[in-house]
Amino acid sequence: MSLGYDDVDFGAELPPTAPDVTLATVRRFTAAAGMTFGRFNAHDEARKEGLPGAIVPGIMSQGILVALIHRWAPRAVVRKIDTVFRAPISVDSHPVARGVVTDKNDETRTIEIDLTIQNEAKETRVVGTATVELP
Amino acid sequence: MILDLHNHSIVSDDGRAKVENYCQWIRKREIPLDGFVLTEHRQFDDVSDYRALEDEYGILILKASEVETDYGHVLVFGVNDDMRAAYDFTRIDLPLALVLRETERCGGVAVPCHPGRPRVGLFDHFDAKGVVAGVGVIETLNGGSRGEEDARALALAQAHGYRGIGGSDAHIVSQIARCVTRFPREIRDGEGLVESLRAGDFEAVSWK
Repeated sequence: MSLGYDDVDFGAELPPTAPDVTLATVRRFTAAAGMTFGRFNAHDEARKEGLPGAIVPGIMSQGILVALIHRWAPRAVVRKIDTVFRAPISVDSHPVARGVVTDKNDETRTIEIDLTIQNEAKETRVVGTATVELP
Repeated sequence: MILDLHNHSIVSDDGRAKVENYCQWIRKREIPLDGFVLTEHRQFDDVSDYRALEDEYGILILKASEVETDYGHVLVFGVNDDMRAAYDFTRIDLPLALVLRETERCGGVAVPCHPGRPRVGLFDHFDAKGVVAGVGVIETLNGGSRGEEDARALALAQAHGYRGIGGSDAHIVSQIARCVTRFPREIRDGEGLVESLRAGDFEAVSWK
């Protein structure tokens, strides 16, 4: 089914996803993005910077959240995504990305989605919102 | 009566929630919350009028502020003109002792928030610079806390004899009502909230 604006209610929850943030996957992302910093690509390098281990790049987290939206609504157009990185997502951890619809605009046929990424301890590490246009 | 004492709307620089959406969320999810307080960062919102939303949704909406001191962030309830003349809400280095003293003098209540958090919480600064007198209430439960931050706040509140409130510190709609404060008495307005806080008649509750 291709989700449209009229199919979506305030409070609708997007199916949560468990993104792959293994070191191998993060390295593939950083290679494509040209982000060669050790804090993303090597646990020992990250520890030298005072981090507990390698961390997932912020833009990868944003990508994870946009992918969450498109898995739910493949024809959605993400007009804006706005994230706050409260704490790092650790590479090789098992985070969960979630979204929920928190506003609808009938004139523009856009919705607002609250977005979060939580770690295994259910701490919200990334929080944000997206403005999404639906057909 | 159950109130969420710490939330931000789009009036705050980092807030992404419209107040009406908070109300819709509370009703849609059937959350047993009687009201919430908007504690916008470094300002008091004179402009917004939420009375129509209060009537439409049957939810009490109060206004306060979150100011920034040399001992971390502090919620200020009962804001009035005297208080705003006494110290500059926009500063990020207000002396905590001044905020505590002047808030009290002007008829309000100052409550250090997320006190167990590094850098922006009270207790790190206590460890580094010593205890400041005049604190009576702190936020022991915060919706944005991670790790042991709330546990640390609770332990140190007990050690110092502080009372504890709960607040979600919501910046997006779906984060409201994670931590709340239960009052045995009805609260109708900001003055009533200040009276209850001053009386110490409340308890912090986690709905995380």
